[in-house]
Amino acid sequence: MTALLTMKNLRAGYGDADILFDLSMEVARGEIVAIVGPNGAGKSTAMKSIFGLLDIRGGSIAIGDTDITGWAPNRIVKAGICYVPQVKNIFSEMTVHENFEMGAFLRKGDYSAALDRVYRLFPDLKAKRKTTAGSLSGGQRQMVAMGRALMLDPQVLLLDEPTAGLSPKYMEQIFQISRDVRDSGVAILLVEQHAKQALAFADRGYVLAAGRNRHEGPAAELLADRHIAEMFLGG
Amino acid sequence: MDIHSFVNFFLLPGIVQGSIYALGAIGITLVFAIMRYGHFAHGDLATFGAFIALAFTTTLGLSPYAALPLAVVATGVFAIVIDRVFYAHLRALPKIITTIASFGVALMLRSFVQVVWGVNTTSYTRGITRPENWFGIRIKSHEIVTLLVAIALVVALHLFLTRNKWGKAMRAMSDNPELALFSGVDNAKVISLTWIIAGGLCAASGFFLGLNTELKSVMGWNILLPTFAAAILGGVGRIEGAIVGGLLVGIAEELSVLVIPGEYKVMSAFGILLLVLLFRPTGLFRGKVL
Amino acid sequence: MEWITVLNYPIYLAIFICIYGCLAIGLNIQWGYAGLFNAGVAGFFAIGAYTSAILTSPWAEGRLGGFDMPFAVGLVGAMLLAGLLAWPIGKICLRFQSDYLAIVTIGVAEGIRLVARSEDWLTNSARGISGIPRPFGDLPYGRAQLIYLGITALILLVAYVLVERQAVSPWGRMMRAIRDNESAARAMGKDVPYRRLEAFILGSALMGLAGALYVHLARTITPDAIDPMLVTFLIWIMVILGGSGNNRGVLLGAIIVWIIWSMSEIVTDQLPSEYALKAKYGRMFLIGLLLQLVLRFRPEGLLPERLRKDPRDQDRPADEKSAASPAAGKGVN
Repeated sequence: MTALLTMKNLRAGYGDADILFDLSMEVARGEIVAIVGPNGAGKSTAMKSIFGLLDIRGGSIAIGDTDITGWAPNRIVKAGICYVPQVKNIFSEMTVHENFEMGAFLRKGDYSAALDRVYRLFPDLKAKRKTTAGSLSGGQRQMVAMGRALMLDPQVLLLDEPTAGLSPKYMEQIFQISRDVRDSGVAILLVEQHAKQALAFADRGYVLAAGRNRHEGPAAELLADRHIAEMFLGG
Repeated sequence: MDIHSFVNFFLLPGIVQGSIYALGAIGITLVFAIMRYGHFAHGDLATFGAFIALAFTTTLGLSPYAALPLAVVATGVFAIVIDRVFYAHLRALPKIITTIASFGVALMLRSFVQVVWGVNTTSYTRGITRPENWFGIRIKSHEIVTLLVAIALVVALHLFLTRNKWGKAMRAMSDNPELALFSGVDNAKVISLTWIIAGGLCAASGFFLGLNTELKSVMGWNILLPTFAAAILGGVGRIEGAIVGGLLVGIAEELSVLVIPGEYKVMSAFGILLLVLLFRPTGLFRGKVL
Repeated sequence: MEWITVLNYPIYLAIFICIYGCLAIGLNIQWGYAGLFNAGVAGFFAIGAYTSAILTSPWAEGRLGGFDMPFAVGLVGAMLLAGLLAWPIGKICLRFQSDYLAIVTIGVAEGIRLVARSEDWLTNSARGISGIPRPFGDLPYGRAQLIYLGITALILLVAYVLVERQAVSPWGRMMRAIRDNESAARAMGKDVPYRRLEAFILGSALMGLAGALYVHLARTITPDAIDPMLVTFLIWIMVILGGSGNNRGVLLGAIIVWIIWSMSEIVTDQLPSEYALKAKYGRMFLIGLLLQLVLRFRPEGLLPERLRKDPRDQDRPADEKSAASPAAGKGVN
């Protein structure tokens, strides 16, 4: 599979400190790639660096042939990469429908087709579209967050710990929805604390520790490897 | 006291004054919500708007009501200019610095008005208007216009914020500025929009203050405290709160003469402000607390 | 002693600089050390002024007074009352971002102005209080002024030395730590609200002292003698131009701004009378412009805080030390 999003030898951090060292990864169309690893491994940081939220000191990031290293977030969105942060990922004072409208902010012209697609992915939300997003349950809020990001029909979807704090029922739903999105051709990169569940439904995985690549490969292989499981995935 | 006296001497003046406060408070709450600082030049911007309207009546020979829309637009644009020249380069610094700068802009606006128009009081029209009598309620024509225009502006703003793409973008920036950025909302455009609206409302607020009382260079500064109190009472960031807060402060001010000496009337806003900060800092409609 | 009349104006200027110097140091404690935006400086100034006036002036018909207390008692009373006023204001406002403190202090200053104007029995309203004594006030004008300059300069010096000592002491480091990183300071067990209140009260007491010094210079006080916005704003410019967080800086700011302000009055006085009045308002415009220029090009002021070079401050990130407010705590997005 040719890679859509590529990160090569990235060095990045905040302020005086570097957090990521020589990090490389790639995601292709129609695949789900999970970034896993122990706490403090730099998983979320890696995702944030793709979205332009960190100082990039070395290496490069590209989508297709376009080098996006050092671009600001609103430019990266225009390049087809959408990001669902872990926290504060909805407009809690606006309705569900308005959240999706904000997701489609950069679209010109009629976007009712995109709206239909998103409501089909999240049928529960259709009935609640006039409800204030902040009053929904945790799982539904996460769905609003994903729906907002999908309104631009992104090529790449970045999900930062999408199942954090969710009940098993919602976790399963999120994973299922992610698979549906993948099947429509989107490249999905996700960061997960629940490494085993993530690798169980992802196609490939990267194991990070202390800001560096440690292991990578098909998700099933990573999952089956006892050594990796013990050292990096909490047994 | 009978109902007519109550309405004529307290409720109606309170609502008229309250509408003036509400128009100013909406601007203050918008700036608080989107740019996260207190804009202390707001009152003097209202003064500026009022005097610009006066300039239009004297130089172009327009009636005050015709001058109003011009003053609204001019002040709105001027507010953007002020932002670009005095506030924009401070955005990366702690917000309190911009607050300090706005204090300075307030003084500059006031002294500009003083240099050009002096410190004496003046008004848009000469002569005394006779109040009309509608079912026992004595109301003057300019009070009616004040209420109608205030209602119209509020409705227009509401429609803008709920139906228009950029209005929703403003609400999004107030709600979650980072996520708005991630959704591609252009920060600079939203800020310009906020200033046009806040500046325009300031002009309206100042105009009606001048129309209902008189024009003088410190008029805007004098309503700074009540408009801030109204915005905080209603809940920072809540437009409906600013409106209700404005009306409440206006009415409370009129009623206060029943319990405190008349010279201290303006302190009722201060009292409201202290009570809100003590007991319910988020305000009536649960806004932000900065 | 004819030569002294030539020096009358500079001496008068110098006395004002000392008074404003006290105000500036007071604001420096509140803003420079604790990051508090007090927009009601004039209110505390007025409280100090009236308190000292009431305590020290002779008996007058229909108004509280006749205590005939000595000068020193007037000064102490001024400081006490100003500090006392600061306490409830601080308790209510300091837990919020400084914008709230600003609007409340504006209200306080307005309220004090109203009280001074309306309460006959206390302040004699518009007629004000006169006959306020001054130490050695009976001497010939030139000498009395010189002595008063000596007194105010001495008081300023004492205030400066005391505050400077506190600034370089562990107390000062703690205040700066709280200002720059409130959550870290709290985590270290510092009682942040108490410290902020402490700074606010201390600063206000100094402002009250300045008010008392003014009133004994002018020997009368009326509600409209001082334009509150003028006083407040001039002090703020002094502190920001000079360098907030640096006592020497704010004193330098006081000197520069007061000289500019006084010189501009001399200049506008020379203009033909049709223009002179309007030009006077223009002075305020220029001062406001000066503030914007300082904030744009040198927000840290002429003598920035980092001049102190205390090695024990090195745990703070470099870019937080500059810019008119070193405060990186509340109010930063």
